[in-house]
Amino acid sequence: MAQQMCRTEENMRRYYGFADLLSTRAKEDPDAPALLYEDHGSICRISCSLLLEQVSVLSRQIRVSGKKCIGILCDGSPQCVITVFASVLAGAQTVLLDESASEDLLAQQICASDVDVLWGDEDLAQDLKVDCLNSLIPDLEMDSPNSLIPYPEVRDGQEPVNDDPEAALKAGCSVSGDILFFTSGTTSRSKAVVLTDRSLTASAFNGSSILPLSSKDRLLCILPLNHVFGFVCGLLWGLACGAPVALGRGPRHYSDDAKFFSPTVLSAVPSLLLFLLQHGCLNPELRTVLVGAGSCPPSILELAGRSGLHVCFGYGMTETSSGIALSISGDPYALQICPLNEVRIAPDEEILVRAGDCMMKGYYKQPEMTQTVLENGTLHTGDLGQIDADGRLHITGRKKEMLVFPDGTKLFLPEYEAAIAAVIGDKDFAVIERDLSPVMVIHDDPSNRAFLSAQLKSLMQQYPRGQQLRDMIFLSKPLPRTATGKVRRWELSQIL
Amino acid sequence: MNREAIAKTCREVIYECVPELEGTPIYEDTVINTDTAIDSMGFTLVICRLEATFDVRIPNRQWAKLSTFGDVVTAIEKRVAKKER
Repeated sequence: MAQQMCRTEENMRRYYGFADLLSTRAKEDPDAPALLYEDHGSICRISCSLLLEQVSVLSRQIRVSGKKCIGILCDGSPQCVITVFASVLAGAQTVLLDESASEDLLAQQICASDVDVLWGDEDLAQDLKVDCLNSLIPDLEMDSPNSLIPYPEVRDGQEPVNDDPEAALKAGCSVSGDILFFTSGTTSRSKAVVLTDRSLTASAFNGSSILPLSSKDRLLCILPLNHVFGFVCGLLWGLACGAPVALGRGPRHYSDDAKFFSPTVLSAVPSLLLFLLQHGCLNPELRTVLVGAGSCPPSILELAGRSGLHVCFGYGMTETSSGIALSISGDPYALQICPLNEVRIAPDEEILVRAGDCMMKGYYKQPEMTQTVLENGTLHTGDLGQIDADGRLHITGRKKEMLVFPDGTKLFLPEYEAAIAAVIGDKDFAVIERDLSPVMVIHDDPSNRAFLSAQLKSLMQQYPRGQQLRDMIFLSKPLPRTATGKVRRWELSQIL
Repeated sequence: MNREAIAKTCREVIYECVPELEGTPIYEDTVINTDTAIDSMGFTLVICRLEATFDVRIPNRQWAKLSTFGDVVTAIEKRVAKKER
C-alpha cells in the first residue's frame, strides 16, 4: 500500500479506494472520530477503528449472502454510510437512491440499474409503499441493513470484536463493486453513472489537495449521499483529510444542524446556503463553505462573504466523480483546475475534460449514450467556458438544452416542453430560466393564464418543486426560432 | 380539529416562515410555489414547522406533491384525524 501513496505540497494523502481509505485511517489514527451523528439529542461518534470494524463485518456478511446488486435508500445515517462502504467492498454493484423519490421514480431507477435487493432504514421502508414498489418490480427483495448487522452501541465504548478487520477487509476487497449515481435529472433522461471507489477517492484527493482540511475541522454532511457532490464533498473529503464528518439529520433539520454539530466546514448547494444565511442558521465556528452542484448567483456569494465566511465555488459533474475545478481565493468564479484533471476549451467554447482516475466508466448499459459524451477519454461537458491568463477556468454558459438549478437538480428542456405540449396542445411556447427557476414563455392571450395553470397543475405535481413552472410570460408575437424550428432561447432571453 | 382551524394555523405558520407574504391572501387554490413565490427551501421550512405545530409527519416523498395551499391543509388534516382516532 505504501508505494501507492503520494503526497502533495499540502501534505494530503491520496487514497486508492475505500479499503485503502478506511484501513489507513484506522491504522494511523484509530481513536480519532470518523463520523459524528445525533442520538437522542446527543452527539455520538464512531472512531476510525470502529468504522473499519463495522464495514468489514457487514462486508463479509454481504459477500456470504451472495447479493450482486444492492440498492440503498440514502438517508445519511451512520448505517447508510457503513452499508455503502461495505456493499462496495463486498464486490456488489451498489446503487445509491434518493430516499425521498417517488415510488415511480424509484421503480424506474431500480429497473434501470438491475437492483435485486433494496436496503434502507426500516421506518423509511415502511413509509415507502412497499406493495406499490413490489407490484412494479415483482422480483425485488426488500430487506434492511439492520437484519444483517445490529448497529453497535457506540456510546458505550464497545470495542471491535474482530481480530483483524483490516485483514478481513483486504481479504475480500480484491474487486470492489461499482457504485452507481443517478444524475440529478428527474425525467427519463436521468442516467445511472458508473463510478468506482477508486474514482471517488481520487476525486476526494482532488478537493483536499486544493482545499485541505485538518483534524481540527469538522465537516457537516448535509447533502444527500446519493448525489455525488454530497458523497464526495460531504463525506469522503472529510474522511480523507482526517476531519470528523458530522452526519446531518435530513431536511427537517436543515435549519438547526449547523448549530447542533458546530461544523467548521460545510458543503452546500446554492439554494441551501441561501436558506441557511437568510434564516440565521449558521454557527459561529463555521469558517468555510464549499458551494457546488448548481448555478450560484453572485448575490448568494456576497451574502456569505458578508457573514465572514470563506466561500469556495466548485464545478464538477457526476461523470467526473464530482470536482473538476474549484475556486479558493479572490474571484469565486475563477476556478483552479483540480490536479488530476486536464481541461481544455473546444473551438465552440465547450469545456472538455480528461479526468484520469476520476472519470466514470460510462452510463450503465448505455454505451451509445456514453459515446456521445465520452470520446477517447475526453468528456464533453456541455458547458461553455474560458481559461484566463492564470490558467483558471470560468464557466460562461451552457451548450446543452438543460437547466441546472441552485439545488443541484437538472431539467432537460426538450423533454419538459414535450410534456407540457402533451397537456396544452400545439402552442407556440418555450421554457427558459429566469431568476433560477423555469418560466414558460408563450405566444398567447394573457387572459388564458388561469386556464393554462389549471391544465398544467397535475403535470407540475410530478416535478420537484424547484422544477415546477414559476411563472408564465405572454408574448404578443411569435417566439424567435431557427430555420429548423428550434427556439432561439438566448434571443428570447434578450427580448425579455 | 376541523379543516377551517387547521387552515387558519397553516396560514399563520406560512406568514411566520415567510414574513414577506404578510398581507398576501392565501386561498385553498393558491399554488404555493408560484403564486406565493416560496422557494423549495422555504417550503421545506414551512412543512417542518407545520409538522412540529400539529405534531404529525408528512413523508418526505409526499412533499413534492403538495402544490396548492389546499393540498397542504388536506395533508395535515388527514394526519391530524389519524392521530385523533
